[in-house]
Amino acid sequence: MTRRWALFACVSLALAFGGSCARKAASAGPDPLRNAYDSEPDWNDPQKVIPLNYAQAQGKRIFYAQCVWCHADSTPAGPSNRSNLNPVPALMNDGTVLNSESDDYLQNIITLGGSAVSKSAMMPPYGQTLTQEEIRDVIAYTRAMAQPPYQPPARAGSKYTSR
Amino acid sequence: MPAENMGQVSSGLRRAFAIASVIFVIALAISPVKDSLLQWKRYKRAYVKFAETRPDTKKLLADYRPDIDQIWIPEMGVVDRCTTCHQGITQSSLLDASVPEPFPAHAPIPHRVREWGCVVCHRGQGPATEVAEAHETTLAWEQPLLPVRYIQASCGTCHRADLPQAPKLTRGRQLLATLNCVGCHRLQGIDRPDMLGPDLTGIGTKVSRQWIYKWLKEPRTVTDSNGNTVVNGYDSEGTPPRMPQFHLTEAELRALSAYLITQPGKPVGPNPIDPRVMAAWKNRPGAADQGEALFRQMFCSTCHSFAVTRAGETTLIGGDIGSELTKVGSKVNTDWLAAWLRDPQSYLPHSKMPRYQWTDEDLYKVTQYITAKLTDSDLLTDVPSLGAPTPAEIQLGRRLFVDKGCASCHVATGVPPQHDLGPDLSAEGGKDLSQLEFSQAKIPRNLIAYIQAKITDPASVNPTARMPLYHLAPADLDAVTTALLSMTGPPATSGMQKLQVPRVEAFFHPTGEFGRVYERYKCYACHQFDGFGGTLAPDLSYEGSRAQRQWLISFLKSPQTLRPTLVLRMPQFNMSDQDAATLADYIGMVLQSPAADSSAMEAVKFTPQDIALGKQLYEVKYQCQSCHTIGSTGGYVGPNLTNAGNWLKPVWIEAWLRNPQALVPGTIEPKRSMTEDEIRALTAYLLTLRQTGQTRSASRIIKGGANRPASETEGQR
Repeated sequence: MTRRWALFACVSLALAFGGSCARKAASAGPDPLRNAYDSEPDWNDPQKVIPLNYAQAQGKRIFYAQCVWCHADSTPAGPSNRSNLNPVPALMNDGTVLNSESDDYLQNIITLGGSAVSKSAMMPPYGQTLTQEEIRDVIAYTRAMAQPPYQPPARAGSKYTSR
Repeated sequence: MPAENMGQVSSGLRRAFAIASVIFVIALAISPVKDSLLQWKRYKRAYVKFAETRPDTKKLLADYRPDIDQIWIPEMGVVDRCTTCHQGITQSSLLDASVPEPFPAHAPIPHRVREWGCVVCHRGQGPATEVAEAHETTLAWEQPLLPVRYIQASCGTCHRADLPQAPKLTRGRQLLATLNCVGCHRLQGIDRPDMLGPDLTGIGTKVSRQWIYKWLKEPRTVTDSNGNTVVNGYDSEGTPPRMPQFHLTEAELRALSAYLITQPGKPVGPNPIDPRVMAAWKNRPGAADQGEALFRQMFCSTCHSFAVTRAGETTLIGGDIGSELTKVGSKVNTDWLAAWLRDPQSYLPHSKMPRYQWTDEDLYKVTQYITAKLTDSDLLTDVPSLGAPTPAEIQLGRRLFVDKGCASCHVATGVPPQHDLGPDLSAEGGKDLSQLEFSQAKIPRNLIAYIQAKITDPASVNPTARMPLYHLAPADLDAVTTALLSMTGPPATSGMQKLQVPRVEAFFHPTGEFGRVYERYKCYACHQFDGFGGTLAPDLSYEGSRAQRQWLISFLKSPQTLRPTLVLRMPQFNMSDQDAATLADYIGMVLQSPAADSSAMEAVKFTPQDIALGKQLYEVKYQCQSCHTIGSTGGYVGPNLTNAGNWLKPVWIEAWLRNPQALVPGTIEPKRSMTEDEIRALTAYLLTLRQTGQTRSASRIIKGGANRPASETEGQR
């Protein structure tokens, strides 16, 4: 009979503190845009909406203020200057051209202009107009919109990640 | 008890002691075990284990403490323990999708997470130490985490001024203002404008009772096959019409139309057009056609929109400053129209329509065009015959006018203006669930679902709601929700009040002769002056430093576009020489940029070598032609420089080349590192570019909406 008491006591106590641990963490909602700061339709497929985080959303804002005039085929003001230029500037979302370029290279060409990296001087330098942070945001936005999608290179030091 | 029995305890008692001791030991052990199994402690231990798998373990564990982390912001009354579990939040090496929750770093944002914590933006319960209590709605805590989709609401809680970094919030605030929500609701940071809906005291002189009936039934004149309005003005997202749809019964429509048509407005005098002009044109054909050409020349579509049907799809093309005019000829009386065009402010004092300088002949032709061509013979066919208004109808109409809240936006004779017909929403974003009435609505019990249900279908949460229906696109609904969530009422603490970034209301209404001309042509409807005015056309705050006087006068007399890809939208006002000179003088004198010193450079003489070097710099080193056009070649991004020598002041060119952003912040042209010699040479070259015999480019005039109107200042596609 005493054993039964002891058992009862143990079980009820176990339940008492076990219960408080039972609640699980909340799972993310099914809508992928629920946790997106901003979003933009894929340029090649308007049905597909690409979620953007804060930095990418800032890149989008800067792109549409400074870059869209030559790096898109239509602009907020209608026609684009892209077809007017030779060499023709890359489309912002053209992964076949931009995916193979490193972030550092893009940061350089935007900061210093085309002539600094032996490209067309028609690309002006934005290093004194945009901050380095803003240029990083534009690159992050480009990467998010890239078609085919951009695959970041393996992180330096990632070989240590599972030791 | 006898001494010999000391030490002898009955076996029953001994057993009871044993059990009690076991229970006592277990009970003592529970507390530390339970303590070590607390959720946050488990995450603390998991973080250490996780950090050991990373290459930068030492850095990750540099400020690790095994107890609760807490950020306290006394001036905001915020206690934030989120970093207890979210331990890697500031570790840049953890900014990676593969890092498991809750350890990833926060993406870079303008505020420092260690300083502000998490709940200031994300809401949730800061002091909680359990996952569910921190993030979700619980019995004791009603504010769940704000989904990131609406996170810009938190920016707006402190930043009352518009933030470029939070476009959704800005769009939401704009929608709340343009949809006239302040007509019935009190909103934080959005003031009641002078005019919400038109003054209706004189409506009887303007339209017929049939038209009022039709409008009240369906306040849209252009609809597609699905009965929806497609608005495609300057922004592709479209702006919903301001007049919402009230679902009125037949009797209510009759009563309201009877009441409004009998408003004792100021009678419109006889047609203001000289009868001799009318008589002369009476039997001559072509008045309407000539009127159409005039109508286009005057750029009515800069402010007004018109429906255009192409490939079966009806879209509205044109501006949204004035009302949509596709069928206006079937709406207004001819005499009223002529009087309105002559002097809009005599009918509506707050109207933004400029007062054009008309000749009687032109006025006649344009009214002929509007009443003959901008019509729809089917517009009023489904309106029943209404007959003369009866006193009973008028009386019921007046009651309805008050009951439906019409006086919130409109003015009628003898009805006091109604403000605050709807609930005060200036603290809506901080409301508790207990303050919301969900009725029988089958929606999640949270604030966001409530706001969205209330906007999309007001009756679903309150069957007796008087709120009319608004049809918002999903993106606009999110924007409005974000803006409403940002309205959390007056700052709770004085510290909070200090943190707020207030919204500054710009104001530019100069007096004197310039003020008179400025008000007459309503320059501020499209242009900005020191932050005040419209955003359709270029900011003129520093125009006096930029443009030469003679150029300004000829531009005002005969505007032309400077930007090849932009549709010219500046109307031809038929301005008198004196008015143009008044504007040019004031602009040149007062609207000066501190970044361009007008006393410098004017006397500088340029040498031919300067000019030759400038041409070479323009064409080779800086390749300016990629964005600017001279003659017929060049790019479309910057303004056409063919006539730069007649247009721009030397001091402006020089200051611009030094740093364009200092003159026009946010302009597309970036700052470069030019030497003083290069700046001088380029200025010299640009001043040689002069065009003789300016002609107005006819192809840029909107022809039936063939050109897509576009705004120079819009930042988004």
